[in-house]
Amino acid sequence: MLRILFLILSSACLSSAADFARDSDYDYDPPLPGSYTLPVVKLAADGTLLDTDNKAVNLRDLTHGRITLLSFIYTRCAAPKACPYATGVLGQLHDFSAKDVALAKNMRLVSISFDPEYDTPQHLAAYSENVREAKSGCEWRFVTAKSRASLEPILAGYNQAVDKRPNPSDPQGPLYHVLRVFLIDRAGRIRNIYSSGTLDPRLVLADVKTLLLEESKISKQ
Amino acid sequence: MFVDQRAEAYEFNCFNPASSGGPAGNEAGGAADETCSSPYLARIEGQEEFVYVWTLGVEGLGDGADKLVSVDVKPGSPTYGKVVSSVSVEGRNEAHHAGFTDDRRQLWCAGLENSRVFIFDVHTDPSKPKLTKTIDNFAETTGGAVGPHGAYALPGRVLIPCLSNAKDKGGRTALVEYSNDGNYIMTHWLPTKDDARGAAGAQFADGYGYDARVLPRKNALLTSSFTGWNNYTMDFGKMTSDPEAMKHFGQTMVMWDFHTRQPKKVFQVPGAPLEIRWAWGDQHNYAFTATALGSKLWLVYADDHGDWQAKDVAPIGEVKGGVLPVDISLSADDKTLFVDCFGDGKCRVFDVSDPQHPKQIYEKQIGKQVNMVSQSWDGKRLYFTSSLLARWDKKGADNEQFLRAYGWDGKELKPTFDLDFTALKLGRAHHMLFGSTKLGPNRTTIASR
Repeated sequence: MLRILFLILSSACLSSAADFARDSDYDYDPPLPGSYTLPVVKLAADGTLLDTDNKAVNLRDLTHGRITLLSFIYTRCAAPKACPYATGVLGQLHDFSAKDVALAKNMRLVSISFDPEYDTPQHLAAYSENVREAKSGCEWRFVTAKSRASLEPILAGYNQAVDKRPNPSDPQGPLYHVLRVFLIDRAGRIRNIYSSGTLDPRLVLADVKTLLLEESKISKQ
Repeated sequence: MFVDQRAEAYEFNCFNPASSGGPAGNEAGGAADETCSSPYLARIEGQEEFVYVWTLGVEGLGDGADKLVSVDVKPGSPTYGKVVSSVSVEGRNEAHHAGFTDDRRQLWCAGLENSRVFIFDVHTDPSKPKLTKTIDNFAETTGGAVGPHGAYALPGRVLIPCLSNAKDKGGRTALVEYSNDGNYIMTHWLPTKDDARGAAGAQFADGYGYDARVLPRKNALLTSSFTGWNNYTMDFGKMTSDPEAMKHFGQTMVMWDFHTRQPKKVFQVPGAPLEIRWAWGDQHNYAFTATALGSKLWLVYADDHGDWQAKDVAPIGEVKGGVLPVDISLSADDKTLFVDCFGDGKCRVFDVSDPQHPKQIYEKQIGKQVNMVSQSWDGKRLYFTSSLLARWDKKGADNEQFLRAYGWDGKELKPTFDLDFTALKLGRAHHMLFGSTKLGPNRTTIASR
């Protein structure tokens, strides 16, 4: 057990230093994993979605069993600091997990589209191939909804605000929305909510490793 | 959640003042908002359309209840400068401060006396807020924190800095977090000498609280300190003549690691430091505050080594006994600081281009008493209200209650409209917040990647 703790802590330190450098936007040192706690915000909502093979999937199955980072996106979003940024951060974490056995086994990334008319399963499949650079690494699922009606309760469950823009040809994309990425523990409880300004990959990694350490302490007891 | 009722973009991502081509935050496109808003809050695009005034009820005046008053401030509107809606809540709760959720769909309005929090929907119709939920078990839920002072938008949640505690109703207090849907998350008690939790300067720690504000790119959360329930519910004259009561005011500010919510350093800032205003410039690592009892401007800043320090940088009003500075408002370009002084009803304006050496450049008599000031992002419009606390407001003819709007041209304040909240039978006008149908991204500063 001590060896596992050591591996988690040491890989977190290495990740901060080598893969995600401090810069003017995130001008601070990230906390040491396990040096703080992440309170439960609420339970992650369930619902029925479609995966990239056009198969029905219960969201519950994507929010339990692994430590999950769940991001609401739409692929037509052209605002560089919104969906493309969030997906970029998830991509960085995915790449990193390819080099970290513990993360590859215990972390899951989920990108949910709130634009079901455009983001069909087939379109999301192609999109996922483009953004997922590492062929190995942790599980990264892309899901969409069968209809807006089936999506509504999921958006409500996560307080994910989405509205149509008056001009559907807006260069930023046809929808406007809250940027939200959720950290969900293995038991399906939301433990953090990131938005612009807090979606620092170093903080996200520290949080994921904090949850892994929390699990280690519980299993030790 | 898919609604087609907005006239403009409502995009919640992030905003980089440095890329705007103008001074910090004055981006092209004329986006506007209060300069004191949370950086995580969706901003207003264009000019504010409504000023919401969280108003204390007065017994025998109108319905006597606390209320959220909406005032139309759209230029050219037939109801410009008029009250367009007023929503009363149950009873008088010592209405004090309020704050939006980060998506700007809800406005949380807090009552200091009985610790109730009223949540309004300001999204469905921003001109007519609707009360949707009331938190009335705050002390029980939070483990004894009382006196919720307002609400500060964080991603998906609100941070509520408190003023007191249920045990002795003194100044020991906490920061409390709720999710946007009104569920309690966690309580963080302010550090004390006996429970400093590793913070430097533990010998100063008094556990008092007041304001709480974040500088995202430094992962810095700063808190200030005021006084507890026993004092803020006491008659002002009685309190000031009671030497024991006057001992119970905050003397500290605390720098926290925002992400971990761990206190890192306690600063000795005597005289009740109140409102905190972080600078917006992307190289400006400092915040101002004013001490109510000390009548001084203080600067909390990162020194050459990146360590946070606090120092007093200017007196406010060279008046014997002080002028009781209360709310402050920093312009979006970080050059001008407006300081309201309850004691003499004046707004004093400082040039803070050199934050270490503020210089007063102007003053204006706003009323017999003045408390809050809210400034538009373009710095052209300022709004003032009058009430401090129900039992601390002045008496008789000096007890003016108003919302007064002014234009600022860089040299002087010129009145634009004046609403007499007593004549309108509304009550004591306290905290103001801007509303609009036109919203955009928030102001966290992340460059395009």
